[in-house]
Amino acid sequence: MSENNGPIMVTLQSNDMQQIQVEKAIVERSMLIKNMLDDLGDGVIGQTIPIPNVTEPVLRKVIEWCEHHRGDPPSTNEDESDNRKKTTDIEEWDQKFMQVDQEMLFEIILASNYLDIKPLLDVGCKTVANMIKGKSPEEIRKTFNITNDFTAEEEEQIRRENEWAEDR
Amino acid sequence: MAGYSRPLSFSERRGSTMSCGEELSLSTTSAGPVIVNQRLDKMAQPRPRGPPTPSMNTPAADFDQQLTGSPPHPPTPAASPGPTNAQPDWSDAADDEDFFLANVRQVFKTCSGPHRNRILADLLNMCTTQQLSFVHQFVSPLLKKDPFTSLPDELCLRILSFIDDPQVLARASQVSRRWRDLLSDDVTWKNLCAKHDYGRRLSEVYYGVPSYAASRPGALPLTDPDYANHSFPGALPGSAAYYAASRSVDGSSDTALIERPKLRSYKSHFKQRYLVESAWRTGGRHTTRTITQDGRVVTSLHLTPKYIVVALDNARIHIFDREGNALRTLQGHIMGVWAMVPWEDVLVSGGCDRDVRVWDMANGSCLHTLRGHTSTVRCLKMSDANTAISGSRDTTLRVWDIRQGVCRNVLVGHQASVRCLEIKGDIVVSGSYDATAKIWSISEGRCLHTLTGHFSQIYAIAFDGQRVVTGSLDTSVRVWNAYTGEAIAVLQGHTSLVGQLQLRGNTLVTGGSDGSVRVWSLEKMCPIHRLAAHDNSVTSLQFDDTRVVSGGSDGRVKVWDVKTGHLVRELITAESVWRVVFEDEKCVAVANRGSRVMMEVWSFSPPEDAYERPVSLPQRLAEPSPTHPLTADFRRSTLGLSSIDMDEDSGSQDIDMRDAGPSTAPLAGNTTFFHDD
Repeated sequence: MSENNGPIMVTLQSNDMQQIQVEKAIVERSMLIKNMLDDLGDGVIGQTIPIPNVTEPVLRKVIEWCEHHRGDPPSTNEDESDNRKKTTDIEEWDQKFMQVDQEMLFEIILASNYLDIKPLLDVGCKTVANMIKGKSPEEIRKTFNITNDFTAEEEEQIRRENEWAEDR
Repeated sequence: MAGYSRPLSFSERRGSTMSCGEELSLSTTSAGPVIVNQRLDKMAQPRPRGPPTPSMNTPAADFDQQLTGSPPHPPTPAASPGPTNAQPDWSDAADDEDFFLANVRQVFKTCSGPHRNRILADLLNMCTTQQLSFVHQFVSPLLKKDPFTSLPDELCLRILSFIDDPQVLARASQVSRRWRDLLSDDVTWKNLCAKHDYGRRLSEVYYGVPSYAASRPGALPLTDPDYANHSFPGALPGSAAYYAASRSVDGSSDTALIERPKLRSYKSHFKQRYLVESAWRTGGRHTTRTITQDGRVVTSLHLTPKYIVVALDNARIHIFDREGNALRTLQGHIMGVWAMVPWEDVLVSGGCDRDVRVWDMANGSCLHTLRGHTSTVRCLKMSDANTAISGSRDTTLRVWDIRQGVCRNVLVGHQASVRCLEIKGDIVVSGSYDATAKIWSISEGRCLHTLTGHFSQIYAIAFDGQRVVTGSLDTSVRVWNAYTGEAIAVLQGHTSLVGQLQLRGNTLVTGGSDGSVRVWSLEKMCPIHRLAAHDNSVTSLQFDDTRVVSGGSDGRVKVWDVKTGHLVRELITAESVWRVVFEDEKCVAVANRGSRVMMEVWSFSPPEDAYERPVSLPQRLAEPSPTHPLTADFRRSTLGLSSIDMDEDSGSQDIDMRDAGPSTAPLAGNTTFFHDD
């Protein structure tokens, strides 16, 4: 493998059999793929890596994110509790990136979980969390098209159970 | 749990959008009952949803299914319970419309994705604004998905972990059954407890054993290396007693003890703490008692798991229950009582009559009168259930065996009155009017180090096993290395006598006759907050992880946020506050009002109806817990609660046990949830 011939490329194959060429350095944002490449060594270069759980559009979206964040420092600290304190913190580019339909959003979350891309997973989860915040139960139902499957009695009961949090 | 069904996976759906198949079950729209059999074949069509791309956020919706599958609905754009879809009106449809659509459908079905997009774009281009609005209303619910039925539990919980407002979580649990079930998972509330620093207290874990007794190390605690590494008080089984005991005020050194020993889920724990915090800010109930009709000096106040104890300069010691009801008065001292220390039912007291007395608070009897000091007993502490140490104006400290009623040792060395002392393990530290502090070995009865540096009398001392902190009339606060006796730091800022000190972890809080309360970091040896607390002297102060409570001779009791330094509340207004002590849900202050000495007892416990029993808990959480009766028995026997109290409490006990989720097993071992994982 000569390093003068540009970056090393890797071929990914999505669940719907589409092949996508990606720079190795980019795709290694995925810990799943990185570990696989590390384990297999250079022998895997030139071969196709199947990503059986992710469809092409989602995979492209994930790669788009990885490309933009290729320069990010690796997420070293596993101290997650600190990161989670600042919930609304999503950088602008990521906010735009996450402006997709809900199905795509959830698929990105699933894919980043499967591919083990923690920062992307967190951006996705934060996006959903922010969609929940500041809303009444009915507003949340509307946001996600959820049917209220409580009986009237249950609804009243659970409202009373949660009243304590409404007092400020 | 049958109220919802989770579609398998998006990827499967997306992966098969191009193939005709049996996708009917994936329909998100709630179609009405199927009326016409022959239309079934039309229904069994794939949902032709083009793969969304970043640039195209609106995949085509399947009109097809709507039109054939459901009978005409009136358009209901307005909000109504549950999801709403705009539906086309079929009442005025021509006879051949359906036939025409069947052809269109057929064509559309065979088109490729890009082809479909082109057709749709073309049609949409022809639409009026009204029609586009119709399309919008029709399409937008189809693009919405319930994240919590779409994602596996672990990811749902991860989403919830990014929410730190209990109100949001409480509202979310009212959305649907699925959401409620998810929100009752204790992991979310555990995270929330961590975010709000609602750590579980030792008292909620180590019930049955007084924490100081359980944690008293046999040998020198100075060698405990773990201790310094835990900035969160209570993280170590043994450390809470150190923290609790490190107050130099002759106040409660045992407030970390048990008041509410319940096993409970993190959710109810969070709720409890949240309600308590709210009560501290704006609520709470209080009762006021008159202690004496004539103006007297209150010299000491203690709040123990059983009693409130007040000592006065009129030689009397009054004992109340924790609600402030008078139980008995200990009479025997013939002059003012200036120091006392409780240990379970035992109380050791001393004062101007030079005697040290040992009392049984349960029946009011005097067990021993210990003689030896030749001047006023000024300070008293206990190192274990058998050992009390007194400091006196006669310049000595005496180590007493209060079971045998004998003096074990006399610690001689100070040149003037011993004003304050503090004990950890086998070490006692003393501060004196001779401007020095001394570190003594209790068992050897000798002085290990003399701490010199202050220019005048030492009035307050704190000791955590590693560091000694002293406050002096020279206005400075000094920090010393307890191993070597060397000075570590001089903290300056007070402009008058520093008479109040408490040390807890790396945080030091001091109060002075200048009326200010200062919060210091002992990591950086620098001030964190300067609170302009009182117009006059700070007579009393105490702090924990959440708050500082200070009392002043200006008659105020003020509550401060220890993290921000903000004033939370002015709790009491009187003429002069003698002493104030608090614990998680209780605060007691003694103050002068008019010519009387009054005691105010504040409770911040949530009302019992806040623990209403939830009727509809998930099955997995509803398993009976074998530890329940044990807990109840403990409460009854140790706290001596009346049976009426027990009955009132039992409802809340039940709930606490019922919703104790799988992650709650806080018996021996795991002392706080910060170390669970």
